[in-house]
Amino acid sequence: MSTLEEPEVEPDGLDIDAVHERLGDRVLDTEEHINAPGIIIRADEVEETLTILRDEFDFDYLACVSAEELPDRYETIYHLKQFADPTRELSIVVPTDRDRPISQSAAHVYETANWHEREAYDLIGIEYDGHPNLKRILLPDSWTGHPLTDDYNQDKPQVVSYKAHENPLLEHTKEDDGETMLINIGPHHPATHGVLHLKATLDGESVVDVEPDIGYLHRCEEQMCEQGTYRHQIMPYPDRWDYASAGIINEWAYARAAEDLADIEVPEYAQILRTMGAELCRMAAHFLALGTFVLDVYGEFNALSMYAIRDREKVQKLLEDLTGQRIMFNYLRLGGVAWDIPEPREQFFDDTRQFINEDLPESMDEVHDLLTDNEIFQLRCVDIGVLPPKQAKQYAATGPVARASGIDMDLRRDDPYGYYPELDWEVVTDDGCDIFSRVMVRVREVEESAKIVDQCIDLLEEWPEDEREIQANVPRTLKPDPDTRVYRAVEGAKGELGIYIRADGTDTPGRFKIRSPAYCNLSTLPVMAEGDFVADLIASLGSIDIILGEVDR
Amino acid sequence: MIGVLKSMAVTMKHALKGETFTVEYPDVPPEVSPRFRGIHKFSQERCIWCRQCENVCPNDTIHIVTDDKRQGEQYNLHVGQCVYCRLCEEVCPVDAIILTQNFEFTGETKDDLVYNKEQLKSVPWYNELDPLAAREPDRGSWVGEGEDAVDYQ
Amino acid sequence: MLQAVLQTDTVLLPERLVDLLRLGEFGVVGEFIAGLIAAFLVANIMLIMTAIAGPWAKRKIRARFTDAIAVNRVGPAGLLIIIADAVRLMSKEIIVPEGVDRPAWELAPIVVALSALLGFAVIPMGSGIHVADPEVGVVFVFAVASLASIGLVMGGYASNNKFSMLGGLRAVAQNIAYEIPLVLVAASVVIFAGSLQMSEIVAAQQDTLISLGVVDIPMWFAIINPFAFVLFLAANMAEIGRNPFDTPEAPNEIVAGYQTEYSGIYFVLFYLGEFIHIFLGGAIIATLFLGGPAGPGPESLGFVWFLVKIWAVFLLTQWMRSAVPRVRIDQLIEIGWKGLLVLSFLNLILTALIVGVITV
Repeated sequence: MSTLEEPEVEPDGLDIDAVHERLGDRVLDTEEHINAPGIIIRADEVEETLTILRDEFDFDYLACVSAEELPDRYETIYHLKQFADPTRELSIVVPTDRDRPISQSAAHVYETANWHEREAYDLIGIEYDGHPNLKRILLPDSWTGHPLTDDYNQDKPQVVSYKAHENPLLEHTKEDDGETMLINIGPHHPATHGVLHLKATLDGESVVDVEPDIGYLHRCEEQMCEQGTYRHQIMPYPDRWDYASAGIINEWAYARAAEDLADIEVPEYAQILRTMGAELCRMAAHFLALGTFVLDVYGEFNALSMYAIRDREKVQKLLEDLTGQRIMFNYLRLGGVAWDIPEPREQFFDDTRQFINEDLPESMDEVHDLLTDNEIFQLRCVDIGVLPPKQAKQYAATGPVARASGIDMDLRRDDPYGYYPELDWEVVTDDGCDIFSRVMVRVREVEESAKIVDQCIDLLEEWPEDEREIQANVPRTLKPDPDTRVYRAVEGAKGELGIYIRADGTDTPGRFKIRSPAYCNLSTLPVMAEGDFVADLIASLGSIDIILGEVDR
Repeated sequence: MIGVLKSMAVTMKHALKGETFTVEYPDVPPEVSPRFRGIHKFSQERCIWCRQCENVCPNDTIHIVTDDKRQGEQYNLHVGQCVYCRLCEEVCPVDAIILTQNFEFTGETKDDLVYNKEQLKSVPWYNELDPLAAREPDRGSWVGEGEDAVDYQ
Repeated sequence: MLQAVLQTDTVLLPERLVDLLRLGEFGVVGEFIAGLIAAFLVANIMLIMTAIAGPWAKRKIRARFTDAIAVNRVGPAGLLIIIADAVRLMSKEIIVPEGVDRPAWELAPIVVALSALLGFAVIPMGSGIHVADPEVGVVFVFAVASLASIGLVMGGYASNNKFSMLGGLRAVAQNIAYEIPLVLVAASVVIFAGSLQMSEIVAAQQDTLISLGVVDIPMWFAIINPFAFVLFLAANMAEIGRNPFDTPEAPNEIVAGYQTEYSGIYFVLFYLGEFIHIFLGGAIIATLFLGGPAGPGPESLGFVWFLVKIWAVFLLTQWMRSAVPRVRIDQLIEIGWKGLLVLSFLNLILTALIVGVITV
């Protein structure tokens, strides 16, 4: 998709033949997706096949499970990757019968499949045999029908009888075993960062069990994208997934997938602009993550959250100058970006340098004084909310959450896109696995992002004036070939933000699936919080840095 | 304890400095970038009724009614549901629709936020900022429309 | 010398009122009325201070620490927000949730507010404002201040809400854990002063410790025994439930703890009680460690100095809030029982030894 070298699908040694040989008769057929080879298997051999791939071929990362309805069948695609090298990808396609859409569950092989399959069941209606807890996840339990299927009547009102929702607490108050207490944290609670509902079972103050209940902010983002045209109409929506300032990164996720699908080259100059914009967004998002996290640990009167918001405000001012909006940027276009640097260019460069080189180091020192060195903060965060690397991989945690568990994966480096390979920066990891390391990873990532932005500024400043090409020549209407499929991801502020698109020959996607990093990261919460205290549960939740708009889509 | 004291020193330093970052809106109008996207302004003199803006709009914010000779009769814009993506301005071949920096408009019901052609024409510039200047095409027929600045009180 | 100090006879506010209003002829009834008027005056001073602190000063101080602008739109410097907020809070609906334990639920806020107010009865505030001076003043003030815990647990338990329940239990656990160190540290002051009477404790701090040219360093116990002072400050933070020990409320964990279900005027009472408690904490610190109303200038300025000291403690609580995280409940209990309690015993023994050596 870029003028920079894009690594081919099989760079060094995913030996697809060996996979075929090992799987033998289990391979019914093969197909070619743009990002990876696809292997079609039987619906009742999912667990076996995935176990082989995980244990023998090192596919330890189930990036995404996308399900869709096709005219003659239902299909579940397991997008497998390797944490060690995310460019080694493999798609396992599991078709099921239209009349009896039952497919074997992969939840026993990858923990992350649990939530993904629940979502597929919820929206598409495929039933997963052997799934430990197959119930709706985004829609209410009383919903009828599966909204992403073709025969779903969107005009039919969903009548939720009062009885079904009489008092969700009633059954819990009835059972009086005297040992534990169910407490509902959310959907309206000061610390849930949006409308999240945690069903926490407490024994005294310690958490015995916690179950996140999501879907309160489900806005049919996937369906809205399926109704928009590739060329223009989808781009405004990604801003609204992770709306906490990570807009440009989200747009890039869509742009990367769609540009691969339609084979569009992006000019180098535009790539630098994208890289700079994305890193500014990452800084803003991490500032907000920091600010809201300290609210959970310090209480609402702390100063650091306000300082963090102030720094974010400065980044937003830069982004406003660049893109015209503070949050809903709509800055990227397929094949480029919407604007060049605003005139006068020097002004923008000066403002950015002022922030990067003068304001930021100062406020970073303050952050370290207020956070890193604070003994009481360490008391609250070190060795609390531990997410062991093995579990993190099982739950497909990505982004700062995974990197704080010592998983050295960053798509900016490992699956390069944009201008990142040309720049000098480092992937921040920490093997503390606890809340403290997650916070520190974010703080240090802000510093790395600043380094990237600084280099981008230098490049943009020196770029010859007549080569400032911000937009490739892209046809007005894009109609990718029918049945081409692509799964592409970028390193979002929260982790791997992936987009799966199946083209159906029209100018709108046939299936548009968002792999949300916060969704997968949130599923690790029980691992972090169980056995700890309520206060730690809140701190762990804050350290995951979820944006419910992205979790629920 | 040293760390705690250091933290307290940081906040005390801020307290003594007494700097603030807040914009005291509405007493002080916030500065917006020249590229900022606010409410739309429409120019009937320029519009050629090509309906491209209506087609590109991601969520059907723009409704155009033309007569049988494809002459424009109505240009309605539901500001309440606009996502300010600026695609309409981008596809317009004649700069007939443009997003001003003006973000100050209210309505008591969502029906009040459906703007017709006349309302869209009389949208004032924000702080006399002409977005076209920042976006560089000629301004031509924009001169003389809605010159007055926004009244904050 | 010590004997001379102990015999200073303080004139209490009710006695002055008796003289002023010529209530002497009514005998006990007159004294009773004078006592009522005095209590009314003191209570009102505290309520006015709370009114200033709650809606206005707290916001201003917080804004200062966080680089923000606080209340500045109603009246000069936003001061009229006090009236606006009072009207707003009082006109709010009182929502009584289903299943609350009625009398307990309604009594809780009153207990909290009253217990803190009662403590001021024995505090010598300077300029002749001193309602009562029992011989067991120190004991009395801690006794009534800890009554608040009963109010908190009543509110938490009676609300029929799990968050309230957790908050009430936390409040009780915390208050018990920190009450003991608090009293023990106060006991070290009592050993120094040789009396439980508040006026005697203040009088014992009046002398000059060292004279540095023009500046006289007074014999405040905070200066004589800074270790005890720091211990007392820390325990007091927990006692009044402020950062880093604000776990009973902990809005991000358990919504608002014991006061989750309270609205309208009941909420105001809780809020009021909390602030009066902070001021009472400040008053105790001022009396026990900072020489009470002592300060430069004529004695009639004593009350001003007293207020300054109280507000300094209030400022400290807000300052801590801006920079110190809240500790977890188990850590808090651990710090209380294993840390502060041991240290305060140590302090008590050391003080006893030193005082013993000096007097012998």
